[in-house]
Amino acid sequence: MSQRIRELLMKLLFLLCACVSVAAVVMICAFIFVNGVPAIAEIGLFKFLGGLRWEPSKEIFGILPMIVGSIYVTAGAVLVGVPVGILTAVFLVKYCPDKLYRLIKPAIELLAGIPSIVYGFFGLVVIVPLVQRLGGGSGKGILSASLMLGIMILPTIINTTEAALRAVPENFYEGSLALGATKERSIFRVVLPAANSGVLAGIILGVGRAIGETMAVVMVAGNQTVIPSSVFGGVRTLTANIVLEMSYAAGLHRGALIGTAVVLFVFILIINLCFSAVKRRGDK
Amino acid sequence: MKKIVSLLMAAVISAGLFTGCGAKTNDSITVVSREDGSGTRSAFVELLGIVDADGGDAIVDTAEVSNSTSVVITTVKGNKNAIGYASLGAVTGDVKALKIDGVAATVDNIKNGSYPIARPFNVAYKNGALSELDEDFLAFIMSADGQTIINDKGYISVSEGEPYAPAGLSGKITLAGSTSVAPVMDVLADKYKELNPGVTIEIQQSGSSAGITSAIEGVCAFGMASRELKPDEAAALECVTIAMDGIAVIVNNENGVSDIKSEQIKNIYLGSIKNWSEIG
Repeated sequence: MSQRIRELLMKLLFLLCACVSVAAVVMICAFIFVNGVPAIAEIGLFKFLGGLRWEPSKEIFGILPMIVGSIYVTAGAVLVGVPVGILTAVFLVKYCPDKLYRLIKPAIELLAGIPSIVYGFFGLVVIVPLVQRLGGGSGKGILSASLMLGIMILPTIINTTEAALRAVPENFYEGSLALGATKERSIFRVVLPAANSGVLAGIILGVGRAIGETMAVVMVAGNQTVIPSSVFGGVRTLTANIVLEMSYAAGLHRGALIGTAVVLFVFILIINLCFSAVKRRGDK
Repeated sequence: MKKIVSLLMAAVISAGLFTGCGAKTNDSITVVSREDGSGTRSAFVELLGIVDADGGDAIVDTAEVSNSTSVVITTVKGNKNAIGYASLGAVTGDVKALKIDGVAATVDNIKNGSYPIARPFNVAYKNGALSELDEDFLAFIMSADGQTIINDKGYISVSEGEPYAPAGLSGKITLAGSTSVAPVMDVLADKYKELNPGVTIEIQQSGSSAGITSAIEGVCAFGMASRELKPDEAAALECVTIAMDGIAVIVNNENGVSDIKSEQIKNIYLGSIKNWSEIG
């Protein structure tokens, strides 16, 4: 009897733990929507999302430059990170000698563990001067931010792609070889397409990481509230907008920043929906 | 199919390179600023008159925005066309502080009032609301010992003061306000606690305006502000200037310019001067 009660108690405890994360998500949602939506309504949804100017001191709140900025920087990160990441995963799974694997794999794990502010500082003192020499101007902008974010999302993409490649049955690969295809052809035409959904999921996770990244981007993106005209132009991302001004903001300005968080939240939601859609397709 | 893809790729890459060449103008000024709401930015804007017709902040929107003094300095250090501004106490040999209207940014020039961009660090309190302990802390700040700490931190002392003798009080002191004043206040508080072991001091960094509001509402004993008090604030509070802080206008060490007019700084930050060649 006491055995059963104890089991019941433990079950409740586990349930409680499981509820913590759900409760956290619900509370965060409630907080940003309760605080953000009225502000957006006061500014006007169209003016807020479509406005080209952000001047808090004059109560002008348009976040289109930040939305565009986030999209540019994230797209740039994908262009940089995805090819490198996928090819690295292919190398790790199909070409890498064991000894080298034991060196590369921990290095990638370490890359995932570096705090973002450290990436930011690295970007500021290494990538920014390089880009400056390449393109003139200040060096802070889309290109610097994309290069840095591209490196930051590598671990995510490499790890998921590697797992997906390893999950492809070995006989796909061997069958292709047996039919006379070269090793490269077998990998890129048979194994990689079979791992398709896993790779795509990795990319989506990477996009999620890139769009949500804050501290590192603030340091290298320039943070101008204008839509840039070239890849060397400075941008401000949605996350940067929040972190730059939150500590000073009051009243409608504060509301507008939380409204920015709402927009970011919707972006992340869309990305997560894509992720689960891709995963479901892969599971079928 | 493959061919089309690779052709497209080549086109994109070369387009990128050409844009790169287009952006390569050698002496266009990279304007570096602080974020909207920073005390340093509002003091800079106010002192140089970088405002539009309504008196609002008019720093050009293509100016780079950095959210800390150290990032401004690192940026200017790494870019020979950059111009920025930072608290004089924080400026190191990595960058060059410009003379303004022929006056060098030094402690002496700020004291005698000839350097134009300097702001006060103020603490404000409600008249008659201070406890014995609060008054003793204020006396410590204004004493020779307190002012020495202020000088050591790179800010400018405002009084000669007597040496401080601990009164042996105990209790709690609360301060709130400017993030620019807080670092030096932290050091002052540590020293005071060392001299008066029974005292705890709480410092909240909430920005000048929020700090002053807290002081008016009686939430804290002292509000810290890195700017002059506005008339309605000054009517409600007593205000003591504990230090002065110069704002240095900084450029890269390789920059040939070493003297600039305040009008030129204003025009750079308004966006009407775009190249270093326009500054002679």
